[in-house]
Amino acid sequence: MSVQKNRFRAAAFYDLDGTLVDVNLLHVTAYMLANVAEWKGRLANVAALALRLPRIYAAERHDRRLLNVTIFGIFRGISRDRLFLLGEEYCERVLMQHFYAQAVDLMAGNREAGLEPILVTGSPDFVVAALARRIGVETFAANRLAYSRNLASGRLREPIIAGEEKARWCEEYAARRGLRLSDCWGYADSYYDLPFLTALGHPVAVNPDRRLLATARDRQWPIIRFAKTRAPAPAWPYNGES
Amino acid sequence: MAQAERKLKELKAAQLKHEVGARRELVVTLNSRSEPRLISYGDDFLVAKLPPGTRVIYPPPPLEPLPDPDVAIRYALLHPENADPLFAQLSPNMRVTIAIDDISLPLPPMQRPDLRERMLNIVLQMLADYGVDDVHLIIATSLHRRMTEDEVRRMVGERVFKAYWPDRLYNFDAENRAELTMLGKTDHGEEVWLSKRAAESDLLIYLNINLVPMDGGHKSVAVGLAPYRSLRHHHNPATLRDSHSYMDPTRSGLHRSADRMGRIVNRNVNVFTIETAINNRMYGGLLDFLHKNEDRFSDWDRARLGTFKWTLRNVSDGLRREMLRRYAAPYGMTGVWAGETEAVHDKALARVFQQYAVPVKGQSDILIVGVPYICPYNVNSIMNPVLVQCTGLGYLFNMYRNKPLVRAGGTLIICHPLRDEFHPEHHPSYIEFFHRCLAETNDSVELERNFEAEFARNPTYVHMYRYGHAYHGVHPFYMWYWGEPGRQHLGRIIAAGCEDPEVAARMGWEAADTLDQAIAMATSELGRSASVTYLHLPPLVIADVE
Repeated sequence: MSVQKNRFRAAAFYDLDGTLVDVNLLHVTAYMLANVAEWKGRLANVAALALRLPRIYAAERHDRRLLNVTIFGIFRGISRDRLFLLGEEYCERVLMQHFYAQAVDLMAGNREAGLEPILVTGSPDFVVAALARRIGVETFAANRLAYSRNLASGRLREPIIAGEEKARWCEEYAARRGLRLSDCWGYADSYYDLPFLTALGHPVAVNPDRRLLATARDRQWPIIRFAKTRAPAPAWPYNGES
Repeated sequence: MAQAERKLKELKAAQLKHEVGARRELVVTLNSRSEPRLISYGDDFLVAKLPPGTRVIYPPPPLEPLPDPDVAIRYALLHPENADPLFAQLSPNMRVTIAIDDISLPLPPMQRPDLRERMLNIVLQMLADYGVDDVHLIIATSLHRRMTEDEVRRMVGERVFKAYWPDRLYNFDAENRAELTMLGKTDHGEEVWLSKRAAESDLLIYLNINLVPMDGGHKSVAVGLAPYRSLRHHHNPATLRDSHSYMDPTRSGLHRSADRMGRIVNRNVNVFTIETAINNRMYGGLLDFLHKNEDRFSDWDRARLGTFKWTLRNVSDGLRREMLRRYAAPYGMTGVWAGETEAVHDKALARVFQQYAVPVKGQSDILIVGVPYICPYNVNSIMNPVLVQCTGLGYLFNMYRNKPLVRAGGTLIICHPLRDEFHPEHHPSYIEFFHRCLAETNDSVELERNFEAEFARNPTYVHMYRYGHAYHGVHPFYMWYWGEPGRQHLGRIIAAGCEDPEVAARMGWEAADTLDQAIAMATSELGRSASVTYLHLPPLVIADVE
């Protein structure tokens, strides 16, 4: 494997939903489905999502990978162009307003300290790409839909970024960049991110759920809580293109 | 004026000397018939038979408190040292900032009403009477953790809390760059940074509690309201190595630096200092036997000790910790002075030494200290190994004037279980410091050179300090440096009753399962001729070593 030169001394890997922003994957999905078509189609989509909620809940309880597969199946039949357009819109109208102000400071501080910011998230790439561009993050790992004739097939392309796959992606990225994982920092909010956090030298539990909080306390990891204040647009230091 | 206050004021130097001289009975030499001694041991106490010939230094009995602290505070405000009375400095529309000592003292926290509450009630009433309404109350935490809402409420009282929290009563934030200002540099090149609100006030009032002579004076404002950029000038290995001891400000490099910086502050800001001294009544009521000479224990004392030990041994770790945390000390105020910082501090220092000083003849080969469950940096938290080091090697070793209690190259025995336990929300950077930095080196200069700046600027630790309740990222380094004079002076450090020898090894200490074993290890080189001193705590004592 070739090792690329890196201007950063290490990396800071950030989970997105619940960690940097106070929205989750279901919120993105609902927004997309409610805006993807004309009124009739929107109602049908939202109804389809409502019908899937028990399955989504069951998946959420057991396996984050299964949750992703279940949710992304709903996008079947939507054109790639439309999804990326909605991704931009969702990012601008919703995600940026839900970004924790304190997370902005933390990311800026980490960047100053020589840590390359990288998003590692189960959110769809058509949303994460738009966000990454706005916050000046060059590298991200997000879930990608498979497309056939420019229409979403409803299946996810491998690797599905969830659980252990997040950790594997970070390991491969670090190896590619010649970084030591023991020097890297990881930020996540969910117990399902445990493999991801344990792979890194400096795991941090952010707004942790009950199980991650217990684990973080047990393993003596730093625990941080972002206040619910949102980042006002002018405060964002990397607004615009990276 | 209160009767006790008048009596103390009337005490002349010669009488004070006599009083201190009478304390020679506080140094006891044990024989084979002596009772076992109580030794602090984390959340517990050891009851240990010490070798015959061991010298035990007991703290002096508590000074009589002033009968009416509120009256004494009012008197001090009306009769300040080298300054106009407080009321004469007030005018409507002026901007006043009141800075307050944080939760790191006194230890254990005092019974309510806290002295700070008493001082605040009186000072705020006076400000209101003179039409001053632009008043901010800043808790002078420096790089300590932010106090929680409940802790602040307990400290300042319900009335002040309701009126001022959180907009006009808040913790100092040493990382809020917009709220800091640089006042100048000392002739030693030390940058003097300060809270902007305090610096731009027409009057800065500092409310202090002097637990030990290390506290107060210029250290209050110039450290309590200052960020890392100021503190690094004196909280470093070189300055702390030049401190003999922290409890003797005249021979402390730390205090000399803080004084230089404080004088710059006082040249730029109108500072009105209020200092209080408290007695050493740490334990009262059913626990007052902890202050006593064990040879003079009554049956009632022994019964209480047995019950206390049984309780500590038979409750869960969490409950034991909680019981100890909830304990509040019945301290009494022995003096209060107000006015110009240095004049006030001189008076307070004299009273503090009057409480703690015990004359001791000569040094010994071995010094035994017991590290208790609490130190200034783990109130409502966990005593982690770095803090044990700071308490044993930093504070307890430094409880002297003139010469250390133990000779150069001697042995310090620190009684503590020394577990690998940390509070991840209060001491997050300590965890990395202990497991990463100390794994590489325990040399303070190397630690300072290789790691300090990285920790001081670490964004996660900065975030946890600013918005959580974490000590600043650089704080474990300061705690480690605090032990530097002790490390330079001592030949060996042995952790007695150590449950995790790897923890001791990481700090460069030896580990012993029991105190007996530790004493045997320490005397292995010197044989039976080795002299042993045990510094009996609680409460606190300062040895004037001849």
